[in-house]
Amino acid sequence: MKRRAHAIGAAVTFFALLTALAWQSNSTTKSRRQSAAANPPVTFNRDIAPIFYHYCANCHRPGEAAPFSLLTYKDAKSHAKQIAAVTQSRFMPPWLPEPGTFKFADELRLSEEQIALIAKWVEGGAIEGEASDLPPKPEFVEGWQIGKPDLIIKAEKPYLLPAKGTDQYWNFIFRTPVNQTRWLKAMEIRPGDKRLVHHANVLVDRTQSARLQESSAGAGFGGMEIKIESEGFDPDSHFLFWKPGTVPYTEPEGMALRLDAGTDLVLNIHLQPSGKPESIQPSLGLYFTDHPATRFPMLLQMENDRKLDIPAGAKDFIVTDEFTVPEDVQLLAIYPHAHYVGHDLQASAKFPDGARKPLIHIPAWNLNWQAVYRYATPVDLPAGTIVSMRYSYDNSEENPLNPNDPPKRVTAGNSSNDEMAHLWLQVLPRAAASGANDPRRALQEAMARHNVEKNPADFEAHYNLAAMLQARGKLAEAMKQYELALQLRPEDATVNNAIAGVNMAAGHPDAAIKYLIAALHARPDYFDAQYNLGTALAMTEDFKGAEEHFRAAVRINPQDANAEANLGGVLAETGNLKEARTHLERALALDPNNALARENLDQLKRESPHNQ
Amino acid sequence: MLARLLALTTLLNSSYSLRELSARRHEIGGVLLVLCASLLLAAGQQGIDLAGAAVDPLKQAPGKVIVLVFVRTDCPISNRYAPLIKEMNAKYAAGAAFYLVFPDKDESPEQIRGYLLEYGYKMPALRDPEHALVKKSQVKVTPEVAVFDAKRELVYRGRIDNLYLDFGKARRAATTHELADAIEAASKGVAPPAAAVDGIGCFISDLQ
Repeated sequence: MKRRAHAIGAAVTFFALLTALAWQSNSTTKSRRQSAAANPPVTFNRDIAPIFYHYCANCHRPGEAAPFSLLTYKDAKSHAKQIAAVTQSRFMPPWLPEPGTFKFADELRLSEEQIALIAKWVEGGAIEGEASDLPPKPEFVEGWQIGKPDLIIKAEKPYLLPAKGTDQYWNFIFRTPVNQTRWLKAMEIRPGDKRLVHHANVLVDRTQSARLQESSAGAGFGGMEIKIESEGFDPDSHFLFWKPGTVPYTEPEGMALRLDAGTDLVLNIHLQPSGKPESIQPSLGLYFTDHPATRFPMLLQMENDRKLDIPAGAKDFIVTDEFTVPEDVQLLAIYPHAHYVGHDLQASAKFPDGARKPLIHIPAWNLNWQAVYRYATPVDLPAGTIVSMRYSYDNSEENPLNPNDPPKRVTAGNSSNDEMAHLWLQVLPRAAASGANDPRRALQEAMARHNVEKNPADFEAHYNLAAMLQARGKLAEAMKQYELALQLRPEDATVNNAIAGVNMAAGHPDAAIKYLIAALHARPDYFDAQYNLGTALAMTEDFKGAEEHFRAAVRINPQDANAEANLGGVLAETGNLKEARTHLERALALDPNNALARENLDQLKRESPHNQ
Repeated sequence: MLARLLALTTLLNSSYSLRELSARRHEIGGVLLVLCASLLLAAGQQGIDLAGAAVDPLKQAPGKVIVLVFVRTDCPISNRYAPLIKEMNAKYAAGAAFYLVFPDKDESPEQIRGYLLEYGYKMPALRDPEHALVKKSQVKVTPEVAVFDAKRELVYRGRIDNLYLDFGKARRAATTHELADAIEAASKGVAPPAAAVDGIGCFISDLQ
């Protein structure tokens, strides 16, 4: 029925056109007719449907993020002029980067020709065309996009989005129910109602540090940016990102993400009120592989937040950062990030041969459409390549997204009214990781050095570089950095303890003692410092003094086998054999493989058999 | 589709009698007459309420300002304005009568009832399938509003406020409030600061 009605409508159009033209000269009529014959009209079925199917339908179909479907002629017709306008302005499809040297996977950018074709279709009356021209409808997977997940975790409590107001940022903590280390090859993020969520990021929290921000377990917490603490050498490695239209990315063989028991996954989502109250309860689908990781990508964070002090009204405030890659790496993906004042974001690479090529250029940044961009083919960055970021900020009143009206000074910070200048790179080192020779350590050291150069008055920068150098066995240099950190915070327990550790490793327990005393002065319940001071005193044969601190260590952490073993050891040295034995046995109960406790207990039994 | 647009304009802007129309029928063909017959119902300035009765909102609430708010169930921008539209309706209830107007002929009364329930709207809703009210109000997108004073003169047409700058670009909060200004001016019988300011939203012209 519908199709007939349209056919009649088209016939009337033609008639009306001819009538109108009859008022004009015959020659005009002729030339119009000729060009019409030479250029057949643009039709939905032949010309437009293939574009919409490829570029739009992934979101513009029932149940997906877009507000209306574009799968049928009728759908498209009832938005035709709007489609012409938003494709012309490049608001749709949402794709921020300019075309550049390196192509991204799944580029959603219409060509000028395609945009012109859509405009021409609308000008020509948005006609349907011949049924036989219509290509088959694209097939979409229903439900989980890459099959049933091995594990599905749902947020414990929904988040209630108010009907009105500004954009909201919420964090859900998923307590991963795995009781042994698993290898994650893919994750589907289901953000809840796709129409409301602009983007979502999952952060791997190996130390459960985000839980401290929840008012009660499972409650979640607000906030746009979150800080995850890490212990030891375990750099972030994967982008876990969702935006409308995302199909989950399956990691290549050997690049799975390690998921240990007790690891939390923190989902950070950006929501926009819809006009009515909404309840959002996301879930994650996890896909595992039996193959542990053999290749270890790493996320490098370039930034220059310290330079973000943007005067009110500034139109083109520039912030830059430059990082020289110390190892041959492949650049897999890139993720620029700024807030609402960020305007033009660029990153480029200057290769060792002198050539400079753009890595990404976003001329009109819009936080709402932020994304991780994965290169279609990894980009080789040989050692010595200089990666530069150059971000421009518009803090004038002409920037409609400016959070302040009238504009005011904007500095770095985690809230959406503050700014950020971040550029994340996912790189895969060329060299294989083999034991102590992990190329990621060189990358991290270089990044830590860079941060110290950028921020010479930053305690954390010095501390992180020192820790990195210490881990790589560069003790003298590590000591220099720790001392700079200590100058900045003379009373900090962590750095005092770390300096003592370097002294002890270098065979100078006597030099370590005053730092440990300072550390414990700042933090009496600091297990590491109590343990280290016990050890340092024992090394200088002050066993009575050592006993006091090992006792304190055992009190703070009764589950530590080494502390029990050492307490047993120093008690034996002071002649308190009975109690020594109790602690050595406790150490073995905690860790049957504790060699020191076993050795000391055997010796004790040999030397004082009557005590059995 | 062009023909329908032309016919509609002609019909609304002139005073053809039925006889003249049927005379034209012979020139243009049978299709138009069918179209015109359905147009007659909505001709002038009438909408259709959800029970199917023709309603001329400008003949209601004598002495009050009339506010027509044009929305579309699948337009995310007009949806996002729902809380503000409800607030304004409540705030100005004493001096202004609000009508939600749905210009998409494909939105059924049942669909609209569900929508009103979902968004908690408690104001009268009119369908405007032939765009009689759209034409009278000269609105271009959803959400735009038309404000008529007590004499039923159109004193303002356009956006509710300046929250949106473009598609996907909204301020944190609006800094100008054209609808509120227009209602207050119309209540006092003075001209509002602006007679028309285009809104950002879903094109009504796509709905012909």
